[in-house]
Parts: sequence; structure tokens; C-alpha cells
Amino acid sequence: MTALRDYSAAVTQPTLTGGPARYDEVVAPDGSLRVGWRLLAEQAIQLTDSDLRRVGSDIERFLADDGVTYTPPEEEPGPWRLDPFPLIIDAAEWAPLEVGLAQRAELLNAILVDLYGPQRLLSSGVLPSSLIFGHQGFLRVAARASASDARPLLLAAADLGRNAAGEWQVLADRAQAPSGIGFAMENRRVISRVMPELYRQAALHRMAPFFQALRSTLIDSAPGDSPNPRVVVLSPGTHSETSYDQAFVATSLGFPLVEGSDLVMREGAVWMRVFGRLERVDVILRRVDAAWSDALELRKNSQLGVAGLSEAVRRGSVRVVNGLGAGVLENPALLPFMSAMCEMLLDEPLRLPSVQTYWTGDDRSRAYVLDNLDSLVVRSIDDPVEGAAPSRDQLQARISAEPHRYVGQEPLMLSQSPTLGAGGLRPQTLTLRTFTLRYGSTYRPLVGGLAHVFEAGRPTSSKDVWVLKDRPEDPDQGLTDVLPLTNVRASAAMMPRVLEDMFWFGRYAERAEDMLRLVLTAHAIAEDFRSRPQTAGGASLAVLMRAISGLSRSSFGSDQLDENFRSILLDVRRSGSVAQSVTALREAAQSVRDQLSPDTWLAFSSTDRASSALEAYHYSHQVAESAGRMLTGILSLQGMTANMIRDPGWRMIGAGRAIERGLQLCHLLRSTTTVRRGIDADRDLHLAVLSAAESTVTHRRRYQGYVRLAGVLDLLLVDPDNPRSLAFGIGEMREHLAEMPGSTGSTRPERLLDDLADELDRADIVALTAIEGENRPNLARFLDGYAAQLSRLADAVGELHFAAAPIPRSFGFATAVQE
Amino acid sequence: MNRYRVSHRTTYSYDEDVSDSLGIAYLVPRELPWQHVVSHELSLDPSTEDCTGDLDFYGNTSTYFQVTSPHQVLDILATSEVETEPPSHDEHTLDTPWESARPQRRADVADAWQAQDFALASALADQTTEAHAYAAQSLQSGRPVGEAVTDLMHRIHADFAYDKASTTVTTTIDDIFAQRAGVCQDFAHLTLACLRSHGLAVRYVSGYLATRPPPGKERIVGADATHAWAAVWIPDGGWLALDPTNDQWVNDRYVTVAWGRDYADVAPVKGVIFTEAKKSSLKVEVDVAPI
Repeated sequence: MTALRDYSAAVTQPTLTGGPARYDEVVAPDGSLRVGWRLLAEQAIQLTDSDLRRVGSDIERFLADDGVTYTPPEEEPGPWRLDPFPLIIDAAEWAPLEVGLAQRAELLNAILVDLYGPQRLLSSGVLPSSLIFGHQGFLRVAARASASDARPLLLAAADLGRNAAGEWQVLADRAQAPSGIGFAMENRRVISRVMPELYRQAALHRMAPFFQALRSTLIDSAPGDSPNPRVVVLSPGTHSETSYDQAFVATSLGFPLVEGSDLVMREGAVWMRVFGRLERVDVILRRVDAAWSDALELRKNSQLGVAGLSEAVRRGSVRVVNGLGAGVLENPALLPFMSAMCEMLLDEPLRLPSVQTYWTGDDRSRAYVLDNLDSLVVRSIDDPVEGAAPSRDQLQARISAEPHRYVGQEPLMLSQSPTLGAGGLRPQTLTLRTFTLRYGSTYRPLVGGLAHVFEAGRPTSSKDVWVLKDRPEDPDQGLTDVLPLTNVRASAAMMPRVLEDMFWFGRYAERAEDMLRLVLTAHAIAEDFRSRPQTAGGASLAVLMRAISGLSRSSFGSDQLDENFRSILLDVRRSGSVAQSVTALREAAQSVRDQLSPDTWLAFSSTDRASSALEAYHYSHQVAESAGRMLTGILSLQGMTANMIRDPGWRMIGAGRAIERGLQLCHLLRSTTTVRRGIDADRDLHLAVLSAAESTVTHRRRYQGYVRLAGVLDLLLVDPDNPRSLAFGIGEMREHLAEMPGSTGSTRPERLLDDLADELDRADIVALTAIEGENRPNLARFLDGYAAQLSRLADAVGELHFAAAPIPRSFGFATAVQE
Repeated sequence: MNRYRVSHRTTYSYDEDVSDSLGIAYLVPRELPWQHVVSHELSLDPSTEDCTGDLDFYGNTSTYFQVTSPHQVLDILATSEVETEPPSHDEHTLDTPWESARPQRRADVADAWQAQDFALASALADQTTEAHAYAAQSLQSGRPVGEAVTDLMHRIHADFAYDKASTTVTTTIDDIFAQRAGVCQDFAHLTLACLRSHGLAVRYVSGYLATRPPPGKERIVGADATHAWAAVWIPDGGWLALDPTNDQWVNDRYVTVAWGRDYADVAPVKGVIFTEAKKSSLKVEVDVAPI
């Protein structure tokens, strides 16, 4: 039996309770496949449980390789989940849904225009005013003649569910800053790769033309007549719930991903801070909720938006998408009035029904809700997170105190769909998120969507949504006039924040790499000498372990070598550990995701896998195995950066790398070569240093295996041709800094770099190796001085290129009215 | 008819340069049936080109400004010449039982849906159970709304002490009850909380009151201050403005600047600064001179 047959047999079994059955997305009550699946039956039916398990693990790997994460509120980022089985909707079933969604978006836009303008809905009594005036999404700063906007809603989303009869109903409208379209696109990308046969078989609508349409809508929405409007995607930052989605959208559309601190208000307009210059911003696709987007007139002290944004909108100098006031549409109390509003504003009947909702501001509805508290879902109109579920008495009290702030909703018996779990395919309920775009003068729903799978009421996974074409030759998305997305590339928007993240990207990559090399070197020696501390090898091992401890403090004794190695690789909380560097590296990369190649995430997925392997296997050789694979991952970032455009961001990665490499080398030499430990131990240590500094081969070629400190220092300090030497690093930094905008040849970082070069020129290897007792004081002094100077250089680069504006602070609420 | 020249100077001083100040000011008096604005001028020092007025949701003039030249002192001076008359009230409408003055119940009155905005809770006028109970003593069943709210005004004046020291930016309705003291802003918020908790619509009004010098004394220039009071919606009868601080209905010695749901909607000056400065100080000087 194949997986789908088993599933079909299971779900068509009569239930013992005999209660009403859920609608199944794949199997009809008589056991036959639904229309959409019938077309794919040949392929789909063949899939066995083991096929599905393979596909499931492929999906996990692809999502990890693409670095797709989702951050549940108040939690750490976790992997995005995707089920192999898509939600399939055939053309005949989709057609009325599409018409209904388009009408709904048009209606929502008309509602916005009315509520922020003439307010006919309120004055006529069609809509009770307290449900608008009492909703936090109704922004009075946008409800002025000066802020009027004929098309405040450019991208609407809705969550839909199917009832037991198979009819789609709207559960909620999302208009504030709809998320998920990036996840939808990513889901499609992955499913098309892991189930190519099924995907090819299905004549389904591809999504790309919708993205192109979205891009032109955003560009066309620019106010004024700028020939080349600048569009930005405003993100609340990498820690937000859907930061992957935001970066995906920015990257796919070729618009820079910015944060509030990158933008500033001047002359009534919004500008982006680029290299100390200001560049005008025409359109902001906001992913920041309106309340947080203007510290001047909305929530004070918010740093997520742009102070003054409301004024810029009122002056018509910038377009915010969706309009600042759009959040009012997310009010569930609007649902009972949709039909009447549709009649009034569009003069036609409402096509798509909403889930049955009762607004408690209405006397009769309130009585009904209070009588049916146990069977209804009671929600606040604008506060989705209410903490612990309130008791019956609490609910009653809240509703009676502020009746206009609550609704009761009939729970929908959602449809179910086969979902892969530990025990094979199981029916799980789902909801469908749809996206509707204003394109030209009409609203176009995305022919597709994002399905969320629920388990015990909580979203646990997602599904791709396949809408099948009526005829295979139908244009994708029904759009024939859009241009393909070619050569769309985020214009290098090098805000100080981005440059800083790039710089640290370079530094952390190098820090991780150097520590991995040091661990690999030390571990190799440990394999031979861990039980022979009295030998020269044992002595050099002890020195190397001290070098590691100097970079990353630990409390492990010399008898806990493996624990120490594992911790330096895995413990995120241990400062200087590889895990910590990789975490910081990933954070830096995430906040500049739009600037980096997707290959970047492959590197992280391979370091992640190496970490997991090390966590799972406790053999000592796994340390070297995993460290080696982590190193391969980190090194692949080098390949990724090699293919980057030579822009200031790339230069900052290079400068960061060179500075960090110099610092790490100074530290390594300082802790291994400035004290004499006998000829044999010193020779072993020098070889270890060469290995950790990736210069063994060069050294062997140049010195024919004859190891002397002078030769080692010559190669690592002053050799201009060794890419690992301090001298080479000077050359790299000089080139990078000279190419940075604002460089004059005499900026402070450049002057500091000249000093470093002079210091290196003056360095006399013979003098540096001079001995006093057991010590080499000249070398110690030189290395300490050089490292300190490098740190100063790093600071100076930051001051010149990353200087951020002061943080905005609110004033004025202190103006307490006196008598 | 009274005629006043109002000058209202707000001065912010910082211990270091501020590179960027953005602000919103509510300093332009409203044009009303009983109030005419003869002239108005707003000047900023450092001066700025970027200063524009706009009518807000409630019809108040809000002025947006941005100063981007580095400054350690920002001086905002508003000067207005205003003519005022006593607002008139139709006794008949004031006799409406207070229960029928709740906009939620008066779909038959043209502007009830708009008044409803002022019957809902707002952040600075929390409708506590204490406020509800306190107001209930004035809102006896069937009592005429004019009489009932005037009674509440008398009681607030009698029960709460005027005390500048008792109030801060974060003063809540609970604090006011606990201290039995406050300033005009607090008494206005208290009136809002009390009456809104019973479904009446009440506005927060910000403006000035021309002070009378004590008998035989000269008027002291600059001794005046900004003022605040409350106005209650009367079906078909406009808004009855009452000043619980001075225990009287608003008359022709009052200059109305702006109204909103509470102080936060119409703060005379609020803004955002970009600076490394640690300390700032604020000075407000108001003068309402009869002319």
C-alpha cells in the first residue's frame, strides 16, 4: 500500500462518534481523490512512506541550506517547517475564490478611504463608530484632509479556512504589514526541487510574475515624478518574527532592506543615510507596525521607525505601503458589517463570507455572546495576545466594562489535509493565507498562497499552495504584461549599519577560521601526546592549550582535553568559542541578507551539521572530524565573498578579515614564541604555529624543513607574498580603505595604517629574536604593540565609516500643564 | 467682548549640542463661534524654514517643525491676539436627563457618532471603578445633565486640593484619588474618567485663563500659565465646558487652543531630539494680557 492509499482508507473510516466530518483536502467522503489530486494521481499514489520520509528530510536540508528561519514571538529563531504535500486547488474551485478575494481587497481599500476621509460609513450608522474610534489601528494622525490617499491598500492578505461543507471563509484580514509572501515563494522553490516529478506533472501557476507585478506596483506608487524612485523595505530588525520573509522580499524585488536607524527626516521628506550623504526615499514597504513607525506622533521612544514619518506622508513626499492607517482593517469587529459596507461602498453583494462573528458592542450580539461563552471564541478587537486564557467570569467582566472592545466568533471546523509526521501521513487542519495586490487599477490575488498546518490549535508547519491552471497554456498568474525579473539586484545601499555588519562578518569569519585551525593543530598533537605530558610534544601541547585559553577562557583542567575541545567548538556562551563566532557571524549575515549570495547559508548549514555530529558522537576523533567540516564551511564563505561585487561592503569584509587575522596571529605568536622551552619543544611549537597559521607548505618549500624562529617570523611577519603574513594584511587593508568613500589618504584609519606599515618596516627579525634569559622581550614588546595598534585601527574604521546618529529621544510630555 | 494678547514661550536647554529637533506644537487658538483669532505668530529660535501648520482630526491647528542647525537652546514663542465672548448654552438642552446625553443611545442626534469618540477610554483618563463610583454620586437617575456635571465639578473642586508638587508626567487617575490633589490637567482628566465611565462624551480642552490681579494690585506680567478643562457633550446643545480647577463654567476669560481625547492629543509642545546630551531643562512662560 502506498502512503496516500493508507491515508485515504484511514480518513474514510466512519467515525465512532458519528459527528460531522471535517472536509478533507485530498480525499472525498466516498474515498475517491479530489479533482486537483486526480490529475496527479499517477505520481502521487506511487509515493511510499519511505519516499515521503526521504522527501521530508530533503526539505529540512534545503530549508537549512537556504537559512530559512522563523522566530515565534518571545522565542529564539527556529527552522521554518514545510510539509511535502501541497494544498492543491483546481482551476474551477479557485475562480470564484479569486473573484471574492479581489472584491474583498477593493472593499477594504474603499473602507480605508472612507474611514480616513468622509466617514460616510460612520455618519450613516452602517458601521458603529465606537468600533473604529476604540480600535488602536485607527490612527488619527492619518485621518486628516492632508493625509488623504486614494489607494492606501496596495497589498492585502487574508487568512481563510474551509468549513465542513468545503466553503472558504475569511477568518481574518491582514492589512497592516502582511507577511508570508517570501515564505510562500521559498516553499515553492523547495517543493519544486524535492518533488520534481509531481511538480512537473501539475500545470500550476508559477509565482514569479506576481513578484514582478509587486515590484512595479511599488515603483509606480512613488509620489511625484522621480524617473528612478527609490523603494526600501523597512524591517524592525533581524530579531523580528518574520525577518527571513522580509529579507526574501527585499532581495527578490531588488530593494534595500533598511532599519529605522538608516533613515532620517529632512525638509519634510525621508532620506537614507548612505556614506554620510543623504539619498531621498520615495516608497517605504513597511514591515514595522504603524504604531512603532513614528516616534514623533505615534508611539514615543520607538526606534523602529522614522521620527516625523506621519508628516512626510501628509506632505506627500513619501508613500508608505500599506498606508499608516491600514491596521484598522485587522479589527475582527468589522466582519459582521462587511456585507452592509460592501453594499454601501461598492454597491454590490459581498462574495466571500467571513467566519460568523458577533461584536459585543451591539446589545443583541452581546447577549448572544454572553449566553454562549463556552462555544464561542472571544477575542479583543486589537490585542491578539492576552496572556493566559481568561476565565469565564473575567471575560464577562471585561465585555461588560468595554463591550465595544470584544467579539465572539463561531469556531470553524477547519478542513484537514495529509501531513507528514513521525508516524507517516496524518490528517491535520489548515488555514490558507492569500495575498492580493493592487496592480494598475485592479486588485489581483496571488494565484497560490501559503498554507499553515495546525496541531492542537498551534501552527506547526506550512504547505505550498498549488493552484492548477484551467489549460496548460494559460499565462502564469493570468499576467501577460509583466516583465520578467531579470538583473534585479539590490542596489548597493551602504548604510553605516550595513557596513558595520559587513566588517564584523569579515572579523567573525576570520576569528572562527583561526580558532578552528588552532584547535585542529592542538588536537592532532593531543592525539599523540595527551598521555605523555613530560615529552617535548606534551610540553608544546600545554602551550597551545594555554594559547586557546588565552583567546577563550575555560575552567577545564589539563586532564579534560576533549571536554575542552568540545566546549571551544560548541559552547555558544563561552567567549571566543567557535560556536560564539559562528553565531555572531550568522547574526551579522542575517542583518545584511539582502546583500549576500544565497550560498552564504550553505556554509552555515554545513557548520550546523558538523556541530550536530559532534554533539551526537562523543569520540575524540569526532572533534577533528567536525572541526574540519566546520572549517570547510567557513572557508566556503571565502569563495562566496570572492564572487561579490567590489563595493564598499565587500571592502569592509576584507578589511575586517585582515585586521582580525593580524590580531589572531599576534596573539598566537605572543603565546607560543616569546618564551624558550628547549630545542625540541620549540621546534614542535614552531611547526604548530606554522600549521595554525596555514603556512606549513610555504615554509617547507622555502626552508626545506629547517625550522628556526627567524624563518617562521620572516614568513609570518614581513613576507609580502605570504597571504597569512602581517605585511600582506597591511597591503590588503591599504587597498580596501583607499577605495572606501570618504577616504582621502589621510583619514585617521589610513594614518594609523601608515604607522603600522612603518613599524613593520622597521622590524628587524634578528633583533626581535634576541634572548634575555628564557624570554624574547623584543618580540613580546613588538607583538603587544602591534596588536594594540590594530585594535586602534579597528576602532578608527568604525568611527569613520559606521558612525551612527544619536538615538532619538522624546521630549515634551514633561510640559505638565501648570495652572 | 474681551480681547487678549497671549504670549506663550517654551524654552528647552540642553547641556550639549542637539543636531536635530522635530516637534509638534498645539499653540494656535481655535476659531470658534465665541472666539475669534485676530492674529497669530509662531517663531522659533534657532529659526527654521521647516515649520508648517495643518488641521488635525479634531480641527485643531497642529504645527510641525524641524530644526537641524546645532543648538543648545530651543525657544518657541507663540503670540496670539484673540477676541472672546461668553459661550452661550440652551437651558432646555441642559435639562436633558443625563442618561439621554450618552451618544451611544442617541443615534437620533446628528453628531452623536462623532461624540462617541470622546466617550471611550483614553490612556491618560483610565476609567477606574473608583472614578465610576465617585461620579455616580452626582449622576442620580434622571438628573438634568447640566446640573449633574456641574455638581461633579463642585465636588472635584471641593474634594481635591490644588497642589503643583503632587503631580508628574505619569500621574494616573488612581494617583489623583490617592493624593486627593493635582493640577488643572489632572482635574480635567479626572472629569473625563468620571463621566466617560458612565457613557457621557467629554473632551479634554487646552488653553489659557486670563487671571485677575488681586484688588488694588497691578497685573504681574508672565504670571499666567497654560490651562486645561473639560467639555461635556449635550445632545443638540453643543459642548458644555467646565473648569473644575476654578469651579466655574468656561466664560469669556478663557482662550481655547485645542481639544482632544486627553492631554496627549494636544500637548502644547512635544518632540524628538537627536543628541548625546544628558541633561535638558524646560521653561514655560505664559502671559495673557487684556487689550
